Amino acid sequence: MADRLLFSKTGRAKYISHLDLMRTFQRAFARAHIQIKHTEGFNPHPFVSIALPLSVGYSSQCEILEFTLLGGASPEEVPERLTAAMPEGIVVHQCYPAQRKLKELAYINYIMNFEYPEGRPQEAEPAMRELLSRESLVVHKKSNKSKQGYTEVDLISLIRGWNLECQSDTMTLDAVLCAQNPGLNPELIRATFCECYPQFSPDFVTFHRRDVLDQEGHPFR
Amino acid sequence: MNRILEHILPNVQKPARYTGGEYNAVVKDRQSVTTRFALCFPDTYEIGMSNLGCRILYGVMNQEKHIWCERCYAPWGDMEEEMRREGLLLYGLESGDPICDFDIIGFSLGYEMAYSNVLNMLDLAGLPLRSSERTDLTPLVIAGGTCCYNPEPLAPFVDFFVLGEGEEVTLEYIKLYEVARDDGWSKEEFLQEVAQIPGIYVPSLYDVSYWEDGRVKAITPKDGAPATVTKRIIQNMDQAYFPVKTIIPSTEIVHDRVMLELFRGCIRGCRFCQAGYAYRPVRSRNPKLLAEYGKAACEDSGYQEMTLSSLSSTDYPCLMELCDDLLEYCAPRDIGLSLPSLRADTFSMNLMERLQRVRKGGLTFAPEAGTQRLRDAINKNLREEDLMQSVRTAFSGGWSGVKLYFMLGLPTETDEDVLGIADLARKVYFAWRECTPNKARGVRITVSTSWFVPKPHTAFQWDAQIPVEEYQRRVNLLRDALKRDKSITYNWHDPQTSYLEAIFSRGDRRLADVLEWAWQHGAKMDSWSEYFDYQRWMDALDACGLDGDFYAHRVREKDEVFPWSVPSVGVSRDFLWRERELCYQSQTTPDCRTRCSACGANQLLTGGGRCG
Repeated sequence: MADRLLFSKTGRAKYISHLDLMRTFQRAFARAHIQIKHTEGFNPHPFVSIALPLSVGYSSQCEILEFTLLGGASPEEVPERLTAAMPEGIVVHQCYPAQRKLKELAYINYIMNFEYPEGRPQEAEPAMRELLSRESLVVHKKSNKSKQGYTEVDLISLIRGWNLECQSDTMTLDAVLCAQNPGLNPELIRATFCECYPQFSPDFVTFHRRDVLDQEGHPFR
Repeated sequence: MNRILEHILPNVQKPARYTGGEYNAVVKDRQSVTTRFALCFPDTYEIGMSNLGCRILYGVMNQEKHIWCERCYAPWGDMEEEMRREGLLLYGLESGDPICDFDIIGFSLGYEMAYSNVLNMLDLAGLPLRSSERTDLTPLVIAGGTCCYNPEPLAPFVDFFVLGEGEEVTLEYIKLYEVARDDGWSKEEFLQEVAQIPGIYVPSLYDVSYWEDGRVKAITPKDGAPATVTKRIIQNMDQAYFPVKTIIPSTEIVHDRVMLELFRGCIRGCRFCQAGYAYRPVRSRNPKLLAEYGKAACEDSGYQEMTLSSLSSTDYPCLMELCDDLLEYCAPRDIGLSLPSLRADTFSMNLMERLQRVRKGGLTFAPEAGTQRLRDAINKNLREEDLMQSVRTAFSGGWSGVKLYFMLGLPTETDEDVLGIADLARKVYFAWRECTPNKARGVRITVSTSWFVPKPHTAFQWDAQIPVEEYQRRVNLLRDALKRDKSITYNWHDPQTSYLEAIFSRGDRRLADVLEWAWQHGAKMDSWSEYFDYQRWMDALDACGLDGDFYAHRVREKDEVFPWSVPSVGVSRDFLWRERELCYQSQTTPDCRTRCSACGANQLLTGGGRCG
């Protein structure tokens, strides 16, 4: 099976899109003189694949990239060498042989920070608690596949657990969401909250991936 | 990162263009630098980041410990809207600091249609547009690039222009600026002094008077400014800075590859070509050194593609030797090597065959004119036999597409020349039928024509652009002639931007008002069809009482005082006039290696050097 990298993407690098990030990795491997397996065919290029693309603007400390290490560096050397060849904000933490299949990656832990620079309305917290405590919460989600242009999703069924903490000007939602088949983009939680409680709409929301988890809730690597 | 920026980035397209932080971007400590320079390109990130000149100047300046040069590009409309709404001033990509607090703001001017972006960027930076309204020494607003050989339409907005190659002069004027700043000079004192540095043109030190009909009567220097400002050149290309370590964008740009600059200048002397005259004399880099640079740049960048760059790569004396060296490195690493600007001759085709190991897509040739008579007149020394031999080689080798570029409206062009384009395209088609190993695959022959724009400092600087109705008539003539050829596609350039280019490229200072009026009424990003509005520019000319045809469609007298009489590219006006007369006799001039035509540019080489 292939090799994997665990890396984080924060700061200015948050805005690098998924496709651009793959190209950045391909070049960074070359810059670091780390040989990796190329695709075969008429136009061979270094093969890399990133699990569960991160939305542009989200930060993450638990991204996983698959590739095949051919030489030029030992797995132990890869993180430091590769990080030195990266744009600001991308840090490689680990390089290791893949032990388990990507489909075992079941949940993603997101930290969503709702910002209220003018002060958080007191009622925002109970409102969010009410919303997430419902039996079910069916919303429309844009979809190119369905004929109507949207599909119906029950948010509650895709949220495995959550915790809410509040400061005077923020509200922080720590949530474990289904990762795939189907997965839940936390943006949908923000959008639903703002739709149900427009009076508590925050100024801005940041999204951060804290960890990727398996079916049992242990970190997936 | 700036909080406002962080909040607006999720609302705009391709936000990675606005963040900086790329690999090899230079970040310095604000406290440890004394001079901050904003290198501005008046177009999008994708275009500006592809500019080799900017990469060179960025490296030259940042090599100096005390200078911090940052990049700045024109934001796309969605970003501009957000910036204006949130009150975010135009900032340097490296630090995120507003450029209005920098010492020097320098624009790279490569094409006339970017002028409105210069004004828009100054406004986004929170600065007054006109030099006279920025009374303090800092920030200085300056510009360089090919448009500066006639910068008059921008004269009231820019404090000074830098003519020619910037590697050396940049550090010279920065040094003088630092003295001025530290000793508390006024802006006027500094401008008078900086005008003494060779290659620097301070437009406010020249009074321009006009005849009643609008022609320039006289340009009078004052306060000791020189009557002629001659461009700067690098004497020895092997000692010039080469950007081995250069910024690798984290998002896609137009030219996303290693660029290896073989030489500057061009030996050909095509009479319409401003670059051909403005970059003289020819100066080459050593092939061994180039190969080293190319390899080192690949190693540092991780790029999988390298391109050789120059005005006419076939004319590089050691091209084969260099390609062999580079191929030895590139081939085993799957690095592609591309060679644009090749002449359509057999030598080049053989070379292409060797480089192009996979994908055989399209080939592009620029015969410029349809008949040998007109090609001779414009001194495009390309013979039909050479072109036909090249396409035969290409078609036999399996290529299945050819693009042919021409200009309509060249001086002395007749209907016979226009129809000659159709004949030539048909001959190319028959060459395909004759040579292709696979007829079933079909062929794509594309003929493209543009509307000729006479440029300053060329042999055609006196000539008129043909009127738009005449251009349209010639387009129709050619279109009808090609109507029945199903394998030949004909595209023609829309005439509106070419008309504006013709106005601004040979324009005078009075056009500054037109520019400002158009900008006030929304002009920006004029090289993008999404934004370009022809009527707005016509209204701007009307509002300022100026006639576009006066600039575009008028033949000048031999001795007319041109608005661009002060800047000199080192090529004598007498030589250009001789070239024009030879054109009207359909006579060619041999290339610079065959025989020196005494254009004057070799005088730029100190120590009586020879071009080469």
